[in-house]
Amino acid sequence: MTDDPKISQRYRELPREEPPRHVDEAILAAARRAVVSRPAPLVVPSGRRRWYFPLAAAAIIVLAVAVTIHVERQELDAEVFEAVTSPKAPPEEKVAQPERPAEPASPRVFAPDPKPQRQVEPPAPQAEQSRQLRAQRDAVPAGPRVAPAPSAAPPPPAAVEDQMLDKSQQTPAAVPQAKPEAAKREALMREEARARASREADAVSGAAGARLSSAYASPEQWLQGIADLRRQGRHDEADKALAEFRRTYPDYKISEAMLEKVEKK
Amino acid sequence: MLAYRGGDAGAFETLYKRHRGGLYRFVLRAIKQRSSAEELFQEVWIRVIEARNRYAPQARFTTWLYTIAHNLLVDHWRRKGLSLVQLDEEPAVAAPDNPARQAEARETLARLVHAIEALPAAQREAFLLHEEGGLSVAEIAAVTGAGEEAAKSRLRYAMAKLKAAVDEN
Repeated sequence: MTDDPKISQRYRELPREEPPRHVDEAILAAARRAVVSRPAPLVVPSGRRRWYFPLAAAAIIVLAVAVTIHVERQELDAEVFEAVTSPKAPPEEKVAQPERPAEPASPRVFAPDPKPQRQVEPPAPQAEQSRQLRAQRDAVPAGPRVAPAPSAAPPPPAAVEDQMLDKSQQTPAAVPQAKPEAAKREALMREEARARASREADAVSGAAGARLSSAYASPEQWLQGIADLRRQGRHDEADKALAEFRRTYPDYKISEAMLEKVEKK
Repeated sequence: MLAYRGGDAGAFETLYKRHRGGLYRFVLRAIKQRSSAEELFQEVWIRVIEARNRYAPQARFTTWLYTIAHNLLVDHWRRKGLSLVQLDEEPAVAAPDNPARQAEARETLARLVHAIEALPAAQREAFLLHEEGGLSVAEIAAVTGAGEEAAKSRLRYAMAKLKAAVDEN
């Protein structure tokens, strides 16, 4: 008795409410906007193929960020090295110049030279010092903090550069360096370190956003990811991810057990 | 829906006109307030628009549409707790010639409305999906995520209660 014509007939005698006109108009306008603004692809990717583009985009972003950071670190290393070696370089170059008059002056102290000359090579203690500085800089984020604040975030890269600069200024070779030049270089390094920290933070947050929407191969995995966020107490992110999930899979039925995990209690 | 997915806005309009009344009444009679029903009705269609690229014609469009509505209703119920339907208006009945019959018909429809309101949410939903969406038992099962037997049982109980209410005199 799942069908009763009498009940159906009575039900049809009830008032036939219709949606108000403004609702109709809003929906139809939204439908037209969607088609105009973003035409649907002719061949809709399905199955695993629908993840190819988001995954490729995420991989390119990660690669670009990694290369940028790597290049910047190398440049910074070169600058630090120059900062350490420059106070001694001028007198040595004066000595070396008469021996190679035909060569144009090279801006890089450590540029390869066809004739090995002791004068242009960085002295051993300075090379050692440079290595120490680099090791110290690489170790700083993981190692103990030098001047910890009580509620502390990890020390900003600018602070690390400051430490490096202080060390270089303490070396005997750096003592006679001209003060205005050092101050200028110090300001330049701080500025660059701040910019780099900002770019790294942007890259990290961008990667996290991309991960939320595209890193899961299936709705189940996506939901598990949301449940993990919820368990970690990252409720804002979980709420956003759940809303995004609902928009992406509006007809997906979330099981009761999973709902318990992904919904805010 | 496939035509709309391909960029034909007119196809959406056709679909919308075909389903707007049934879906609206389904939502309106399933939740308490008219304003919430309008919001939810609108939300269903927005989800349809947003998810058009994911639409795969494995089932009827109607089933897909009412599945989206069901999911949104479940969310609504979870947020608010289960609630009974409360129609704002008195049922408007075509007036028979005989005033006595007119009164009787009005009374019967009022009893039907109250009986629908009094149904448990799952039975009411099954009944509305059947009446407004024109869905079969199998489709009701697919939309609600219940087994076919459960869907059949809900619909049967709903019909029995409504019949009892209408016949009560």
